[in-house]
Amino acid sequence: MTAIGKPVHLIDAVDKVTGSLKYGSDYKVPGMLYGKVLRSPIAHGRTLSIDARAARRLTGVRAVITGQEEDLPPYSVAGERFFDERLLAKEKVRYIGDEVAAVAATDEATAREALRLIKVEYEEIPAVFDPLEAMREGAPPVHDGVERNIARSMKIRHGDVDAAFRESDAVAEATFRTPLVHQAYMEPHSVVAQWDAHGRLTLWIPTQVPRLAQMTYANALGISRERIRVIQMPMGGAFGGKLEYKLHPLCALLALRAQAPVKMTNTRKEEFTATLPRVPMIIRMKAGCKKDGTLLAKEAEVVADCGAYLNYGPGILLSAASRHDNLYRLKNIRTDGYLVYTNKVATGAFRGFGCPQSFFALESIIDMLSDDIGMDPADFRLKNASRTGDTTPHKWYLGSCGLTETIEKSAEKAEWYSKRRLLPQKRSGDLAYGIGMACCLHVSGNRTFLPFFDGASAYVRIDEEGLVIVQVGEPDIGQGSKTTFAQIAAHEMGIPIEWVNVAAVDTDISPHGLGTFGDRSTTLTGNAVRRAAIQAREVLLDCAARKLGKSPSSLRIEGGRIASQDGSALMEFREAAELASYEAAGGTVMSQGRFLPENVSMVDPQTKEGNISCAYPFVAQVAEVEVNVKSGKIRVLSLTAAHDLGKTINPLLAEGQVHGAVAQGIGFALMEEMVVKDGKVTNPDFKRYRVPRAKDIPPIRTIFVESNDPNGPYGAKGLAEPALTPIAPAISNAVYHAIGIRLTELPMRSATIRHMLKKKAQGRS
Amino acid sequence: MEKKVLVRLKVNGEWVEARVSPRQTLLDFLREDLNLTGTKEGCGAGDCGACVVLVDGRARTTCNLPVSKVQGLEVMTIEGLATGAGLHPIQEAFIDAGAIQCGYCTPGMVLQAKDLLDRVPEPTEEEIKEAIDSHICRCTGYVKIVEAIRLASQKMKGSVQ
Repeated sequence: MTAIGKPVHLIDAVDKVTGSLKYGSDYKVPGMLYGKVLRSPIAHGRTLSIDARAARRLTGVRAVITGQEEDLPPYSVAGERFFDERLLAKEKVRYIGDEVAAVAATDEATAREALRLIKVEYEEIPAVFDPLEAMREGAPPVHDGVERNIARSMKIRHGDVDAAFRESDAVAEATFRTPLVHQAYMEPHSVVAQWDAHGRLTLWIPTQVPRLAQMTYANALGISRERIRVIQMPMGGAFGGKLEYKLHPLCALLALRAQAPVKMTNTRKEEFTATLPRVPMIIRMKAGCKKDGTLLAKEAEVVADCGAYLNYGPGILLSAASRHDNLYRLKNIRTDGYLVYTNKVATGAFRGFGCPQSFFALESIIDMLSDDIGMDPADFRLKNASRTGDTTPHKWYLGSCGLTETIEKSAEKAEWYSKRRLLPQKRSGDLAYGIGMACCLHVSGNRTFLPFFDGASAYVRIDEEGLVIVQVGEPDIGQGSKTTFAQIAAHEMGIPIEWVNVAAVDTDISPHGLGTFGDRSTTLTGNAVRRAAIQAREVLLDCAARKLGKSPSSLRIEGGRIASQDGSALMEFREAAELASYEAAGGTVMSQGRFLPENVSMVDPQTKEGNISCAYPFVAQVAEVEVNVKSGKIRVLSLTAAHDLGKTINPLLAEGQVHGAVAQGIGFALMEEMVVKDGKVTNPDFKRYRVPRAKDIPPIRTIFVESNDPNGPYGAKGLAEPALTPIAPAISNAVYHAIGIRLTELPMRSATIRHMLKKKAQGRS
Repeated sequence: MEKKVLVRLKVNGEWVEARVSPRQTLLDFLREDLNLTGTKEGCGAGDCGACVVLVDGRARTTCNLPVSKVQGLEVMTIEGLATGAGLHPIQEAFIDAGAIQCGYCTPGMVLQAKDLLDRVPEPTEEEIKEAIDSHICRCTGYVKIVEAIRLASQKMKGSVQ
């Protein structure tokens, strides 16, 4: 009996489908107040005075905090040394939405009313919204002392780029732009904060990163880390948007001042104006190849617009500037990367962590090159594809690489070669057809932020009733990792999955874990759970062996029973668990599993070289499109998505990850953009910020390639993030195939297509 | 202080009576006054469908519906769908098809599906997509939700309603 590889249902599905699961925003504690934030209405200015007297006099108001009255330390996210923000703006506001003051009151309406009574006097100063303008000499400084608003820059150099370009038969170059897009998880940020009599804080938060939150919020509040307990709540989606977030420690500060528990929940408008959407980028990329398709050189300049604060911008820039170099066998690389401050909403992680931006550029350029030399784009990719055993210029070691197979299989299932030939002739009336491909890779956990920490741990506990509880440091963010961990534990312990529960993360109880991001969970935590479960099994078998008078090696667990190696049942699992517990004077069987990947390192600060992950997943996706040449409208007809995920632990959940990522990729490619005018988001709701709906999703064909990574549990690698990355370039390449128009800006707009078709027609006549 | 109004409505089969602000939404009433937190808030503007319940059998967003407008009507929230006999076939189908990820949109989706299947027992794929097009799910890409509703239709065909 094995749960690995089976389409196991979510272990918390019944809780979810009956509405009984309590999410972060559902949580309440007795005597709780409600908090609201006063946000800056101007993009850049000095706060001259804040008068909160009237707000404090309002009946029902229990606390008002302002950045001028509170002595708040500067801080940034975990691992970042440059502290560029405070919980509440002190002298300056830097974007429309910046936190200026906060109120706690007996109900939300009173808190909102109190916000209206706070009078803030600002002196507006010139603002800068465009990152290229921000980099010019004399641009308004968003942060004093940061020259040309360049928060971080990096240079990556490998081989002899100039010589390689000279040797190239074809060179393609273009500048690509990606928009500000929101994670648009369905549950807005929410937090409940409460202090105890000893001055210790408990935060109930739907977060991807309980431990990082603990570290960051300790810095933000100026208290020590052990004074904060984070209890992770179930969350309604995250997608990178629920790493550290200012609302949580702000709520803690309000609760401290009000001496009562406080709850805060964002409105959707606050979500769109004052959270941490994807970093927009401008990427100039140039690449050269030989006539036979050998890729020789690549040069890029990446300008990442981080908005008002750093947040995870440095890591995201590094990811965008370097990860894509590892996809193909490429030796000559020159990249300059800049992270630039502007007076816009701060940005952060969103599924892909810089890769949806950079792969849009790379995978478009690859098609431009193959077009130049008249080679099929799939063949071009196959010719240059990285392979198992490769060490890339960035010193990534590819212990498994199914890129070639993902290209071959997606091409086969999508009928690539025949459609490549036939679709351009299929034109009917105003409708043109095309098919395009794009690839990418990713990490399975990423060594970036904390020099002192990597890997993951898990505890497995078998109580005297034979129920198993798994504790991890990585929250289930809706993707179903609790179910994956339960499958792994059940598999190793030979018991039904129904006997296994996976606890939510509680920093007082759970192992220290970095949290859920960078496709870490399945590979790193999955390994830890596996090792802990094996250890717990061995302890139980030892105990059963003593009782049965047999050697432990003659026993195994199968179907919830202790059995001899030939399979005959000797003792119930529960009986052994009870025995083990009583032998330990009531202490239950408890084991700790650790996974610390070998030969994985932080990147070198100068060269950015380093094997940052223990396993790298690969993806190839094929999009088939219909383009209306009159209206410029693009319709995606189908998507074929092939994923080297190492090993499919649960096909039901794995398919779900691909489907969701494809939908988000279509949003990124064709629909979504936070429109910012003079620093103000003009479409902060779902009427105007359009995310894909049921009718926007084409048929999706999902293919899993199992390359069995030597470091993954059962061979498994990451999946959820790279499944989004190739969608935009695959669609863009298909549009080019259909109408010969190269789109370099996302989202792809019908107006742009109409305009470019017109220009093309004029050029011809 | 604004004047409160007396409302009486049936929620999940039980009559409830309360004095409420005329502006209080049904969503807020369900979540805050009745602690029925299975109904979720996603946008507060009727754009996302997370707060959908059945009002006299028809799917309605509740974040933009004053509770005073539901006077005398029958409301079914997700908490009222499963019976003592077990889960509703639509709930079973959502689990079986893998249509749930984070689960935040699930209550609204399930109740929208009930509205649809009560009116159109065997909907086409287009009818299913049309019905749930007013809902946002950011996790699943809708693929398995559509499958779940198709599966629920089959399950319900075989059972006595």
